[in-house]
Amino acid sequence: MNSALDPKFTEIDQISEGYRAAGYICNRSIATTLYLAHHLGKPVLVEGPAGVGKTDLAKTMAAYLELPLIRLQCYEGLDESKALYEWKYGKQLLYTQLLKDKLDRIIDPEENLAESMEKLHRYEDVFFSKKFLEPRPLLKALEQAEGAVLLIDEVDKADDEFEAFLLEILSDFQVSIPEIGTIQPGTHPYVFLTSNSTRELSEALKRRCLHLFIPFPDASLERDIVRTRVPGISGRLEIQLVTFIQQIRQMDVKKPPSIGETIDWARVLLLLHANDLNPDLVRETLHVILKFEEDIRIVSQNIFTMTDISVRSAGN
Amino acid sequence: MDQVLQNFISVLRESGVPVSISETLDAAHALEIVGYGDRKVLKDSLGSSLAKSAREREVFDRCFDQYFTLEMPSVETASDRCGESAQTEFPLSPLSRMLLVGDTPGLIASMFQAARRANLESLRYPTQKAFFAMRMLDTMGSGELDRDIAQLGESGSPLPLKISADLADARRSLFESIIKFIEDRFEMLSNGTYNHLIEDYLRNSRLTHIEERDLHRMHAIIQKMVKRLNDLHSRRKRTARRGMLDFKRTLRKNITYEGYLFVPAWKTKKIERPDIIVICDISRSVSRLVRFFLLFLYSLNREVARIRSFVFCSNLTEVTEYFEKYPVEAALAVIQNGAGLDILMGRTDYGRALQDFRENGMDSLTRNTTVIILGDARSNFSDPRPDILRSISQRCKRLLWMNPEVPTFWGTGDSEMYRYSPYCTLLQECNTLNHLERIIGSLLRH
Repeated sequence: MNSALDPKFTEIDQISEGYRAAGYICNRSIATTLYLAHHLGKPVLVEGPAGVGKTDLAKTMAAYLELPLIRLQCYEGLDESKALYEWKYGKQLLYTQLLKDKLDRIIDPEENLAESMEKLHRYEDVFFSKKFLEPRPLLKALEQAEGAVLLIDEVDKADDEFEAFLLEILSDFQVSIPEIGTIQPGTHPYVFLTSNSTRELSEALKRRCLHLFIPFPDASLERDIVRTRVPGISGRLEIQLVTFIQQIRQMDVKKPPSIGETIDWARVLLLLHANDLNPDLVRETLHVILKFEEDIRIVSQNIFTMTDISVRSAGN
Repeated sequence: MDQVLQNFISVLRESGVPVSISETLDAAHALEIVGYGDRKVLKDSLGSSLAKSAREREVFDRCFDQYFTLEMPSVETASDRCGESAQTEFPLSPLSRMLLVGDTPGLIASMFQAARRANLESLRYPTQKAFFAMRMLDTMGSGELDRDIAQLGESGSPLPLKISADLADARRSLFESIIKFIEDRFEMLSNGTYNHLIEDYLRNSRLTHIEERDLHRMHAIIQKMVKRLNDLHSRRKRTARRGMLDFKRTLRKNITYEGYLFVPAWKTKKIERPDIIVICDISRSVSRLVRFFLLFLYSLNREVARIRSFVFCSNLTEVTEYFEKYPVEAALAVIQNGAGLDILMGRTDYGRALQDFRENGMDSLTRNTTVIILGDARSNFSDPRPDILRSISQRCKRLLWMNPEVPTFWGTGDSEMYRYSPYCTLLQECNTLNHLERIIGSLLRH
C-alpha cells in the first residue's frame, strides 16, 4: 500500500487520535486492525450488527487521509458492468452509424476487399479506447493517482459470483480490460468491505482480508461517542441515556438500537431541554430508538425500572 | 517461522478455525510489525488476520487466552523444609537441586523444554496422557532424582534421610504438576479432534444403526452437507444468469430503427431447478433412511423447484401437504408413525403402491420431473408390476432408485430389485449419509 513511513501510520494510538479528531471514536482493537491493514497492504472486512459505524469507519479513513472516498453499494445482481467498467454501447453504435460516410471515404472504391480490410484494421482501436469506456467505482478507485479509500458496502448482498470477481482486484489491485490492457494504479487504494452477515462470505474472500468485528460498544465507549457527536449534552443525561440504551440491548428485541439511534435520541432529548430521563419522556421518545411496534411494547412494560436504574447510575 | 505462532495456529486448526497458509503468513507479518510487546495489540492483530467470522473470533479468543496464558504451571518445591547446606554436601542431580532450592522458574523452564522435547503438541487421546507424563519426567531427569533419593535414603544418618524424604515429597508434587500441565494442554488440543472422529464415524455408519442419542449430531451434519450443496449449486446457477450481448436479438430488435443498431439486447438464461417426485417405502425396514432422506431433501428447498412426496406401505398416499403445513421435523414425525395418514401399515406391497401412484400422481410427470424411489423392493411375493414402473420411467426425465440394502442381497428372497432395475436411470445402494449426499448432489447436477 502507501509507503510504510506514512507519518499518519507510525503508531496505533496516532490512528485512534486522528479518528477522534474526525469525530469517530474507535477502540484500540479497531485502531490495531487499521494499523495492520496499512502495513500489510490488505483490505479490511468489517462485520457487525447494523448501525455500529461500519460504513463510517471507511468514511473517516478518507477524511483522515484526505483522500477521495469511492463507494460501491452492493446488491443482488450487481455485475462487472456496474462495478468495474462498461463500454458505452449506445455511443459506439451511434458513432459507427454517424461515421459511415467517413468509412466510404477511407476505403477507396477501387481497392479490393483485402486492401480495404487492411486499411480498416488500422482504425480498429478507435472504438475500444478510453473515450468509450465508462469507469465504474472499482476502476475509478484504481485510477486515482493519489490513492483512494474504496468502500465496498454490504458485500454480502452481492452474488457469490461477484465475490469471486472481487478476488482479482483485492489480491493484485489491478484489472485487465481485454481491449485496452491491464490497469495498474500508482498507489494502492485502501479497501474496506462491510458485511451484515446475511450470508456467509466465501473462504477465498475472507482469506484475502483482515477481519474486523465491531460489536455494540460498551457503556464507556458509547458515552464517549455521544459526547463527541452531541457536544451540548450534559454529563448526567449522557450517562442516563447510555445506561438505558445498554439495558435495551440486553433485552430480547427484534432490532436493538444502534449507535446512530443513540445519537439521534441524544439530539432529541437535547432539543426537548431534558435534564433527566423520566418514564413519560422516555415513552414519548421511544420511537426514536426502537423501530418495531413489538419492541416498543416490550420496553414499555419495563420502563419504570429501566428509567430508575438509568437515573440512579448517574448519581445525584 | 516462529515456533510459538506455528503451534498456536495448529491449536486453532484443531479447535475448528480453518487457517489457511496465506493467513498464517499474514499473521507472521503482523507479528513482525507489532511484536510480542503488548498482549492486547497482539491479540487483536492475530485475531484480525486469523479469525474471519464472529464465531471463529470466539474460538480464537478462547484459544488465545488459553495458549498465551500468563499463568505458569505451579510447582511446589521443598525449599522451606530443607536447608541449603544439604546440596553442597552431597553430589545431587540438577533436578534434585532445583527441587531442594525451590528454583521455581528453573523448574518451569525445564518443564516447557521437556514438553517440547516430548512433542506434547501431538497429544490427541486421553489415553496418551500417562505416556507423555512419563516422557516429560524422563527428559527432566527423574531417573537421576530417583537415584538421589535411593542413595540418600541408604546412608542412615539423619540429614540425608530428611533430604531424601523431602525429595520424595517434592517428586510427588512435581508429578502432579506435570499431570495438571498435560491435562490443560489436552483440553486445548483435543477440542476439535474428537468431534471430527465422531462425525467421520457417523457419516459412514449405516443409517439404520444410528442410535437415538446421535440424532442431533446427524442433523447438524445434514445441515452442513445441505449448506455445502446449496453453496455449490447456487454459485453455478448464478453463472447461467449472467448476460452477454446477444447479437442476433440485437439485430432483430433494431429493425424498427431502420437497422441502426441502437438498443442492445442481452443474452439471458433460464434457471432450471429440478422438479422432484419422491416415493418412499415407510415400512419399518426403510423408515430410518426415509427420515434422513426427506430431511435432506426438504432442507434443499432453495435449489429444488417443487417436491411432491408419496409414502407407501400396503397402499400409497400423498404427504406433500404435511410438509407445506408443518415444519420439516414435525411433518417427518407424522409420517414416521403413520397416524392420521390414509395408509395401511400392513405388508409392503410394491405392486399396489405403483398402481396407486398411476392413479394419483402419474399426470404430474413431465419431461422435467425426476422421480426418486426409496425402498428395498421387498414386495412380500405379491405382483411387483414392473410394467407400471416402465411407463413411469418413460414419462419422466430420470428415475432414481435408492436401495438401503447392500447389492449382494438384491434379488434374493422376495426382493424384486432386478425386475425393476431395467427401468431405473440410476440404481444405487444408499445406507449412509455419505451415500445420501452423493445421490442428492447428482440430483442437483443436471
